[in-house]
Formats: sequence, C-alpha cells, structure tokens
Amino acid sequence: MMASPPMSGSLRALALELKNLQEEPVEGFRVNLVNDENLYEWQVAIFGPPDTLYQGGYFKAVMKFPQDYPYSPPTFRFTTKMWHPNIYENGDVCISILHPPVDDPQSGELPSERWNPTQNVRTILMSVISLLNEPNTYSPANVDASVMFRKWRESSGKDKEYENIIRKQTNATKEDAEKDGVKVPTTLADYCIKTKPKTSHSSMDMADFYDDDYDDGDMDDEDDDDFYEDDDDDSGNGGEGS
Amino acid sequence: MAEANSKPGESLDKALPSGVEYDEAIMAQQDRIQQEIAETSQLIGDHEDLLLLSNEYSEEDNVYQGKIKDLRSKYKCFRRTRGDGNCFYRAFGFSYLERLLDDRKDLERFKEVAAKSKDMLVSLGFPAFTVEDFHDTFMEVVEKVERQIPVEDLLATFRDQGLSDYLVVYLRLLTSGYLQQNQDFFVNFIETYASVKEFCGHEVEPMARESDHIHIIALTSCLNVGVRVEYMDRAGSEEVNHHDFPEGTEPKVFLLYRPGHYDILYK
Repeated sequence: MMASPPMSGSLRALALELKNLQEEPVEGFRVNLVNDENLYEWQVAIFGPPDTLYQGGYFKAVMKFPQDYPYSPPTFRFTTKMWHPNIYENGDVCISILHPPVDDPQSGELPSERWNPTQNVRTILMSVISLLNEPNTYSPANVDASVMFRKWRESSGKDKEYENIIRKQTNATKEDAEKDGVKVPTTLADYCIKTKPKTSHSSMDMADFYDDDYDDGDMDDEDDDDFYEDDDDDSGNGGEGS
Repeated sequence: MAEANSKPGESLDKALPSGVEYDEAIMAQQDRIQQEIAETSQLIGDHEDLLLLSNEYSEEDNVYQGKIKDLRSKYKCFRRTRGDGNCFYRAFGFSYLERLLDDRKDLERFKEVAAKSKDMLVSLGFPAFTVEDFHDTFMEVVEKVERQIPVEDLLATFRDQGLSDYLVVYLRLLTSGYLQQNQDFFVNFIETYASVKEFCGHEVEPMARESDHIHIIALTSCLNVGVRVEYMDRAGSEEVNHHDFPEGTEPKVFLLYRPGHYDILYK
C-alpha cells in the first residue's frame, strides 16, 4: 500500500498560513494568492521600513511553494525592480533562509539560518525586509550593487550613488501602490500597527513573538541591530561595524 | 574510452553553474532517490521474523550470520522502517507510542512532558505559529494513544506520510531544543559547526538528515525514554553489541542498527 502523496500536507500548511496572515495582517507586508485556485503561488507586497532608504516603498514579489512544503523552502522573486547586493537581476533573492540544508563543506565560516519546516512565509518576509537594509556583502548576487553599497557605507553616506538609486527605485513604486489602492505607512507608529487582541491562543503567541521588536520605544537610532530580532544570522554578515 | 567526447572542464562548468543551482541539483537527485525508496518500502513495516535478515547476507558471512543468531536469541521479531533519513525518529516515535498503549502510568508522564515541550521550543526562538501546528498534531496522536486505539490504527497514523512527517518534525524540534538548551555540554561534541544552534539548523531540524549518537542522546534525554540500540556491524565478534541511551536507563524502545539505518526490535 502506498503512502498518500505529501501534497495534502503542503495544502494544509499553506491554507493555514494564508488564513492567518490575511486575518491578522502584520507590520510590513501584505499577501494574496496570484490566482484563487492555486495555493502554491503567492503575490506578496513589502512596505519599505521607515527610517531607511526604503521608506514609503511598495515592493512586490511572487513566492512559489514546492509540493513538499514546508519540508522544502519556497522561491522568492521580486517583480519590482530592485538594486541590491543580494538580489539577482531577475529578482531572485539570495538569502540563506531560502536555501535547502545540503552539505556545503567549507562555507561554514558564516553562520546562516537555513530552511527548516518551522520557517514560514512570515519568517521569510521578515528576513527579506531585514536584508533590504542590511545587505550581506560576503556573497553578493549583484556585484556592482555590492561594491556601490560598500562605497556608500564606508564613506558614511558621502558617496551617494547607492542611496540615490535606491531612493529613485523606491519613489518609482508609488505608482504601483496607488494602482493597488495601498497606502504605505511611513512612520514607525503606522508601520508597526498593533494587531487587535485576539481570542485564539495562537494569535496571542504571534503577538508575543513580534512585540519584542517594536514595543520597546528604543528604536530611534539602533534599529540596524534590533529592528528585527529573528535574523541575527543574516544581518551579522552585513557587518555594520566594519 | 568514454572521456573522448567532452572536455572535462566543459562538463564541470555545466555541472556546477552556481551555488544555488548546485544545491537544487543535489536536492533533485535526493528527491529521485527518495522516490525510489518510497516505492519499495513502507514508512513502518509489519512484524517480520528475524530469520529473514539472514537472507540479506552471504551464508559464509560468519560475522553477520553469527550476529543474527545472537539477535534471534534475544528478540522475537522486527519491523522495518523506510530508509529516508528519518528512520531513527520514526522508529523511536512509533515504537514508544506503541508501548505506551499498554503503559498508562508512563503515558501520563509522557503526556505532561510533551505538553510542556512547546513552550520550551518557542522560548528558544522557534516561530510559535508553526511550532504550534506541529505540536498540536503530535498531541493529537498522543491523545489517540491515551484512548488506546488499536495498534493497527497507530500504524496507519505512522504510515500516513503527511501525518507521519509532522510527527518526525516535532521529534526533530525536540532534539534540537534539548541540544540548544544544553549547548554548553554538547558544544564539545560538535566538530564541523561553529555552534550548537548552527549544527541543529543543518543536521537536526531539516527533514531527512540522518541521526548520530548525539541526536539519540538528546531526544531520549529530552523525553526521558530509555532506548537500547543493538549494533549489527562488522565490528568485533559474532555477538551484537548494544548501547543504552541515556546511559543507565531501563530501555523501553529497542532498535536494530545496521550501518546507516534503524529498524524496530521486539522482545
């Protein structure tokens, strides 16, 4: 007797996540299905975090999930044009959380969070949002962007080439936002909308998970380190200290 | 010979275009292998006579034939598990829950430990939303055991790939959780990774990563369930060696280890 295909598991997991994310939209992004008939392809939109070069931006992407999700990671491709050290020209994002955990001897010097079945759309989006502002220049997907970013960072912002491109791209997304009827939050207060208190146990846990990130009121000048708590590994590579 | 047609450099370039694609190529190959295995063996098999093991080795293979004889003097039969990299977790999970069908007292203890385990995982930083999903599925099966469902139903649960894999994930999370909670100790046994957390991210949490002693010590300690592993390998005499995890506990689960694989043994 053959076991049932793992597909039923992926449908279940995706339906649960979609329902949860749509019922309780969280800070920083929105998700929808590309086509209501297909749970394996999601349209996501990321809001540029306030107090970064991406403030006010509306960045769209498509996530495609494999049949054996959540045992294997989805793919993540920006459809909005992005100039970023870790984003390929075709929009594919290069981030460790989306990599399956295969053996990679000798690349172990950089600690990096790999995919595991508890990762989900939310944790991916949080990692991607964080990556926007904290590129990892050790393994750039776009070398030119990476060089430019380092010049910008090492000149403490005096070399504005990188900044200008990002701001221009961010500005260009306003049209998309208007077309979609979305008002992108531009202040931390708006960005970090509090989810209403929920009755179900699970949503309380969710709130707890994200509260730490935003509630402390100490965001002003150290957001590079603490803005998103769950991506130590990736941001560590970006290295603000160097 | 065969190499005449292609320059080695060329084919290498094609075979290894980039990190990401290389990863994907490996994954695709692993998928194909897994599919073949899935088509030929159940996640958890039926009871089988240990004598059947003899057929798998040459009659002149004195070491193995001797060990099978020794094994037969100690155990009644065995169940095979699918060699999909998850066999330790699946074998352990099924065998222990099967035993709990007849052990009310230990079931109560275990249920309490299992119920508390979710908070431990969330406190370690695993996303609550997904951990809860795996936890709930796990607890539903524990509750089935509490209702003393027939063994056949428990077997059906573990043969249902979707459900069974959820249980494996949860056991992997518990293993990872215990390792991380006790990282000061376990860091001494981790060689190729910079930290226990990183080891867990690569070798424990992902599906299909095989288990070593360190995984077994962690899971059995986490749940306080004794496991005896009988080793059937080339080493030593014509007797099987065994090892109890955690050391010194009374075993409740008996596993047969052959290089790279665990099956379930029955007294």
